[in-house]
Amino acid sequence: MELSPALRSPGLSRRGFLRTTAALGAAGLAGGCTAGAAPAGATTVTIWSWLTGMDKYVAAFNAAQKDVFVDLRVIAAGLSGGYAQQTNAIRAHNAPDVLHVEYQGLPQILLTGGLRDLTADMADLESQYSPAAWRGVRPDGRTWGVPMDIAPMVLYYRKDLFDQHGIALPRTWDEFRAAAAAVKQVDPQARICSFPLNDGSFFAGMSWQAGDPWWTAEGDTWAVDIAGEGTLRTGSFWQSMISENLVAGVVHGTQDWIAGMHDGKLWGLLGASWSVGTLGRSIPKDTGRWAMATMPTWNGTPANGVQGGTAFGVSAESKAPEAAMTFLRWLSTNPEVPRIGSTFTTPFPAHLPNRAIARQTYKGGYFLGDAVYDVLDEAAKRVPDWTWGPNALRLFSTISDAFGPVRSGGTTLPDALRKIQQHAVADMRAKGLSVREGRTA
Amino acid sequence: MSVLAPERAPVLDEPSMAPAVRTRGKDFAGLVLAVPFLVLLVGTVLVPVLYALYLSLFTERLQGLGFSGPEHVFAWLGNYASVIVDEAFHAGLGNVALFALVHIPSMLIGALVLALLLDSAVVRLRRLWSLAVFVPYAVPVVIGGLIWAYLYSPTIGPIKNLLGIDPLSDNAVLPAIANIATWQWVGYNMIIFYTALQAVPREIVEAARADGAGGIRTAWSIKIPVIRPTIFVAVVFTVIGSLQVFTEPMVLRGFTGTVTSTWSPSMYVYEAAFVAGDNGRAAAASVLLAVICAVLSAVVMRFSTRRSR
Repeated sequence: MELSPALRSPGLSRRGFLRTTAALGAAGLAGGCTAGAAPAGATTVTIWSWLTGMDKYVAAFNAAQKDVFVDLRVIAAGLSGGYAQQTNAIRAHNAPDVLHVEYQGLPQILLTGGLRDLTADMADLESQYSPAAWRGVRPDGRTWGVPMDIAPMVLYYRKDLFDQHGIALPRTWDEFRAAAAAVKQVDPQARICSFPLNDGSFFAGMSWQAGDPWWTAEGDTWAVDIAGEGTLRTGSFWQSMISENLVAGVVHGTQDWIAGMHDGKLWGLLGASWSVGTLGRSIPKDTGRWAMATMPTWNGTPANGVQGGTAFGVSAESKAPEAAMTFLRWLSTNPEVPRIGSTFTTPFPAHLPNRAIARQTYKGGYFLGDAVYDVLDEAAKRVPDWTWGPNALRLFSTISDAFGPVRSGGTTLPDALRKIQQHAVADMRAKGLSVREGRTA
Repeated sequence: MSVLAPERAPVLDEPSMAPAVRTRGKDFAGLVLAVPFLVLLVGTVLVPVLYALYLSLFTERLQGLGFSGPEHVFAWLGNYASVIVDEAFHAGLGNVALFALVHIPSMLIGALVLALLLDSAVVRLRRLWSLAVFVPYAVPVVIGGLIWAYLYSPTIGPIKNLLGIDPLSDNAVLPAIANIATWQWVGYNMIIFYTALQAVPREIVEAARADGAGGIRTAWSIKIPVIRPTIFVAVVFTVIGSLQVFTEPMVLRGFTGTVTSTWSPSMYVYEAAFVAGDNGRAAAASVLLAVICAVLSAVVMRFSTRRSR
């Protein structure tokens, strides 16, 4: 078990002690392992994951065959401690066989040198995945993980209110601005959506669409381009929307946000595929109000960002890599998995045949307009090239910190982006990485 | 039963050995009794402290894309240097300094006034009062933080309407955090002060009263000077707690972007260790924070002994 920061810091105060006790308690709770024991002769594969429903997938896999027994440990989600736990385990040479990585966190995990190169083992699967997901596990052209799902961004909007007030669904960002003004005119208290400045992965998804990837692996060098033309265009657009008071600033997922969504103060959401589940849980009574569409585009050219997505890697020191890969192939491509997933969530698998199964099992009824999986499929097809860098997770904090003063007019988004670029480059260079600013087109 | 036989033999010999055992046993018994403490001290304080010191001297160097893994290199004091020149760390120290300026006086004066009121004959329902003020301390900090975060939320919470300012906005968030901490700790410190006040010799208080001192004069000239050492201990604890403030801003961070990821030095350590994955820098920052805590505590203690002379 890793030490919490309170334990590590000298001069343990009473408050620190309480925190530590709480953290240990939480770790104890999270340390629940899968029930049951390995059948005789089976190879045991350990996995750490925070994916919702992973216990159900693992149970189904263990029940379906006798050769591999998967031992699941549920860990804290990503930046709440999951990544730290996994990287520390890799450093301590006691990592599980299978590690949970998100596309955005994969390169940072790779800096530990703790993942197994799966290029040859998984080569046959390439054609079965959403290209964006496949690229996500291949930041440098080698395959480091097996994709599970992918989360293209989608525009959710109050179709009932848009229709009632004759506002057309915006298909470009210029139309979006006009629609935002129209919404505000109808109800001065209402806004077309929120633009949460404290969410770095959200802004990254918005910039992804603009077509200038923040990182590119060029040979042995990272090209870093966080203040590229597309990102600055995105920043300038939203800066003007904020300056003209056309968007709300409420943080997605908070009670304020839920209240605004339900009470008609927010007419839209720049969300992702997983927002289908969020809306169903947060505002379950809003059936028949909302519809989905692909993101507005910059100039009519279809393009769509991504916010999130899960993949799994195999530890470089795993003693059972074959068994681990057997399980990962099953998890990623077996039709049973989306069937199980559909019972408690709206899965959007990276594996295309499995996505078709998720589509069949989706019950629907909540959304108006186009079918959920039609919109998500189209959105996933439009995703441009993108590579996450080895400091992506940290950059999300940097973004939220740098964007903070935008609210009070202390800085502008484009200025903040230029600062973030400098910060990211300095951070990467300090680690010894080979970095070049800008991008060769 | 044959197994038991060898064990019995020494028992029979015991009377003859007893005096020798007893004299040596005295030190031995003390040691045995201290073992649980020593194990905990070494295992949970000394080893982690030393390990943090060790970690703070190393860093990981990468090359190229970094995917071939890190090389551990001795960094001398490089981690300390990078923390000391880091603007984010300075900003964090500035924030906790302001936080302490708001929190320490308001919390301690509040606790002292409440304790004096409880100690005076004025208050009815003493138990109920002390319990009511103490209850927030029994609420876990995270829960307390969430309760306040909901109260602070501009559209669903009442506070924005009551005060006319958004407690989660850039300028108000620091007092908002201090308010949570004050709410949490005022009852705890009130109990400490109240307990100390109970130990104030009644004859002094009565003598003061006989000399014509009123309640306020008695409190100011008799009770507070007598419990001054206790007040200074509370100041030391609160200074350390303020420097290490973590949970309250961390909870509010989920509700507003005004709290940065490195808002306080403890959050800086957390960000370095859990987000950036830089254990060396995290260890260096926590050692620096501990040194700052130690120095400030020493300053406060020194000030307190000088005053009591």
